[in-house]
Amino acid sequence: MATEQLGFYVDTTRCIKCWACVITCKQWHDIKAGTISRRRVDETNGGTFPNVTRTFTSLSCMHCANPGCVSVCPTGAVSKRAEDGLVVVDKEVCIGCKTCATGCPFDVPQYFEMKMDKCDGCLTLRTKEGDEPRCVITCPCKALSFGKLDDMKEAAAKKGGNKKDGSTVPSVYIS
Amino acid sequence: MAQTSTYTRRNFLKGAAALGAAAVMAGCSNGALSETGSAASGGNSQATTAGTTVTKHAFCQMCGPARTHCSTTCYIKDGVWTNVEGNPEAGNNWGRGSRTLCAKGNSAMQTIYSPLRITYPMKRVGEKGEGKFERCTWDEAINIIATTLKEQKEKYGPESYGVLSPQFYAVLATLGRRFLNVHGSPNYLHSAICNSQRVFSRLVTLGGPDHDRANSTVPGQLGKTKLLVVWGYNSENSAINQGNPNGRLNAIEAGLKVIDIRPMRNGLGAHADIWVPVRPGTDCALALAILNVIIGEDLYDHEFVSNWCSGFDELAAHVQQYTPEWASGITGLPIEQIYDVARMMGTTKPMGIMAGNGVGDQQNDGHDVLAAICLIEAITGNIGIAGGAGAGMVMPKPMISTEEIDLLTERLPKSAEDIQNGYSAGCSNLVAPEVPRWFQDEITWETGPTTAYFKGLMSTIDGNPKPLRAVFGQSSNPFGATRQPKKIAEALKALDFYFVMDVYWNSSCDYADIVLPACSNYETDVQFAMKNSADGTWIGINQKIQEPLGESRSDWQFYLDLAVAMGYGDDFWNGDMEACLREQLEPSGISVEELRAADHGIFIERSDGAKPSEPKYQDYENLFKTLPDGKVQCSNSWIGGKPNAQETGTLGFLPTYKGPAESIAGTSELAQEYPLILSDVHAYRLCEHSYYADVPYLRELQPYPWAKINPQTAKKYGIENGDWMKVESPHGWVKLVAEYFEAISPETLMCRRGWWQECAELGLEGYGCFDGGSDVSVLYDSDPANFDQFHSAMSKQTLVKISKLEGADNGN
Repeated sequence: MATEQLGFYVDTTRCIKCWACVITCKQWHDIKAGTISRRRVDETNGGTFPNVTRTFTSLSCMHCANPGCVSVCPTGAVSKRAEDGLVVVDKEVCIGCKTCATGCPFDVPQYFEMKMDKCDGCLTLRTKEGDEPRCVITCPCKALSFGKLDDMKEAAAKKGGNKKDGSTVPSVYIS
Repeated sequence: MAQTSTYTRRNFLKGAAALGAAAVMAGCSNGALSETGSAASGGNSQATTAGTTVTKHAFCQMCGPARTHCSTTCYIKDGVWTNVEGNPEAGNNWGRGSRTLCAKGNSAMQTIYSPLRITYPMKRVGEKGEGKFERCTWDEAINIIATTLKEQKEKYGPESYGVLSPQFYAVLATLGRRFLNVHGSPNYLHSAICNSQRVFSRLVTLGGPDHDRANSTVPGQLGKTKLLVVWGYNSENSAINQGNPNGRLNAIEAGLKVIDIRPMRNGLGAHADIWVPVRPGTDCALALAILNVIIGEDLYDHEFVSNWCSGFDELAAHVQQYTPEWASGITGLPIEQIYDVARMMGTTKPMGIMAGNGVGDQQNDGHDVLAAICLIEAITGNIGIAGGAGAGMVMPKPMISTEEIDLLTERLPKSAEDIQNGYSAGCSNLVAPEVPRWFQDEITWETGPTTAYFKGLMSTIDGNPKPLRAVFGQSSNPFGATRQPKKIAEALKALDFYFVMDVYWNSSCDYADIVLPACSNYETDVQFAMKNSADGTWIGINQKIQEPLGESRSDWQFYLDLAVAMGYGDDFWNGDMEACLREQLEPSGISVEELRAADHGIFIERSDGAKPSEPKYQDYENLFKTLPDGKVQCSNSWIGGKPNAQETGTLGFLPTYKGPAESIAGTSELAQEYPLILSDVHAYRLCEHSYYADVPYLRELQPYPWAKINPQTAKKYGIENGDWMKVESPHGWVKLVAEYFEAISPETLMCRRGWWQECAELGLEGYGCFDGGSDVSVLYDSDPANFDQFHSAMSKQTLVKISKLEGADNGN
């Protein structure tokens, strides 16, 4: 277990499905249009017209406590960092076999340019204290937060939010 | 320099793609800064060497050409623009520190590397619409334009020249208007699909010192509002960083209740407490029924009404006919919901109404809707109170002052007919006044007299009262900007001279005599803007991300060049844009060079100790002083009984239901054949009006022209999610892809217009705007007799029938 697990808090009460997070992720991680998306905005609907509810949830890698992708990777390219719990792919080692994708219950790892690709919490972009992932920075409605998982838990709890369910124990809180 | 080879449009696009190929490839694979961690703020460096990243400042152009809403920081690596973020110094969105951008803003890099860029001037050598052009020089193009305008001025008078206004467009509103005034034409063809329409209605109903400062129904202090009614207002789509969804969400968390009145339960509307899925185009019936309940059930503010309303008794008698029972059959809403909403609005205070484009200027009774909405706000006593309409905190004065470009309004000639009729200068020569000639003056207009865009272009066909002879379309595609492209094509064919300046080849270019390449907003350094806040004042100017592509030029410089060629140089800084800029910046004490060197702009901290202060509440004597009797016009004696814009009759005194040109309740016989209602979102978060379907990041999210349709309806017609549909109205037909959507009435379809741009990078085609294409503008009524009589708004709703389009290549 990481000494200081980092994770996301996704506040669906503030998401308006504007897709800014999806595109900013692509521009900052050099992902061409028509290929993959590291982040997506899921939508769940309830009821039928006119009593319809719509809930938008911006999700990416859950950086799980027990990541299914890590345990199945045959080369050790996918790993969970000891210092912050982020799950990352070492593209120098990755052979693009797609096994990690089968181990992930959330369809996170994707095949891109002969390697597997996924959210790394903007590890390479956060060069100084206080830097945040690009999706968090760009969100016009402050629907996304990133930081120590305990802080995310506290912020979510204020809005009646909970940890996202899953056998792999996602490091994501949702309200 | 002149090329002799002839280009068809297709060849031209290929050529343009080849010209920009290196840049395009670099733009697609944009070598993110991240992986090197070298996002150094390198200042305004001129030359870049390998591995160097510099940051530059530019205003985002994704919400319109020449806009200055969002200041951005652009990262340029080895000369290629790779990344963009909001400039934290400027005070975008929620204030200083905010680096947010919307989906469009995050895609901005891809616009300058688009293969649809026009890179050199061209003149038409084929028939209009055929798309055959020959390359020419700038000198030749400007000479042809200037010679034509001078000849036409001599032969037909200066008013024979008109300009298309795409939306608020700073180049046109300043230099373009100044050029019109010096040339002598009032014919600024304003779209009539604009906030201006709502402003006209608010001004004559609720008053205000002038156009820009018309009184509003929108809360100035949302944190104190208890009930917000969002009515046809689309802020999660049209301009996310300006529409302030963030502020609304904060207020909702603090207890604000929201009623959302729109045909779709959209992104921000999904967070509303009550959704009112009104049939598109019938909002006036709903507004009148709300007045009926508020007055009939005695929920209005008697003290306010007796002191500050004029004609209330006439209004009360008039709206007795508009019961919720009556409105239910028109709007498709349950009777009980209309009562509930009316009672909430009548009893919750403070209450504010955000009335948007969807109701005020995209319905042919837009004035009546807005007048009724203004009156709901007024008679409930919500004007000028904390949390009610207006009454925003008063911001301290800016720490920087600049000079606006003088429009030289006094240079527009006053004709004998103007004098005889008491019109403002030029109004007699409007070919199709947007609002009545008698109404147009320095208080009521935005920058000067206006002709309505669609009706003005029709003057070339009907010659009534006299035809425009030359039209300049600058960053405006008339096939996407107004109604009925088939009529527009007819008008452009009849027009003597049409010249276009645009960044991209738009579908109207095929009809132009001259096509000029505009550089993008990111290739000029002549536009600046300020943002004032409690903390201080920020000012920034565009820095050049790159030199203008090919031979493209700044729109600002073009106006100066044309003015010099026309012999108007003395009034246009003799063609020197730097002189024009120096004049504007002079009072600031900041030099052009100093400002251009600041890659995040310049912030001057407040040193005067001033703080935002409470406004004077309920200052009705002052608020209403421009209105007849100094009172809110329940019965409108400012415009009532006076000639309408068409000069075919007189305007009414009281808000009256008219409804769309085609509707379920209004044209029930037609509804037998065309049983469904169709409308469109007009502004959308993945495009800028009809532009940007070519931007890969945006097109990827929505590859095909869509129509949101309730699954229940689609299944009835055997249409699966993702099927192409044939959608026919009495005016034309389009093909659209069905997108199952539960949050829309089974009798309504909602679409996104435009789609004329192809996206080469994704191999996705563009679609035509005529029958068989995919721009819903071809489906709408365009008979000027049906347009709003006061401000020329047009229907954006019609009736359609749908069927599965057999044999369509379903790439979806």
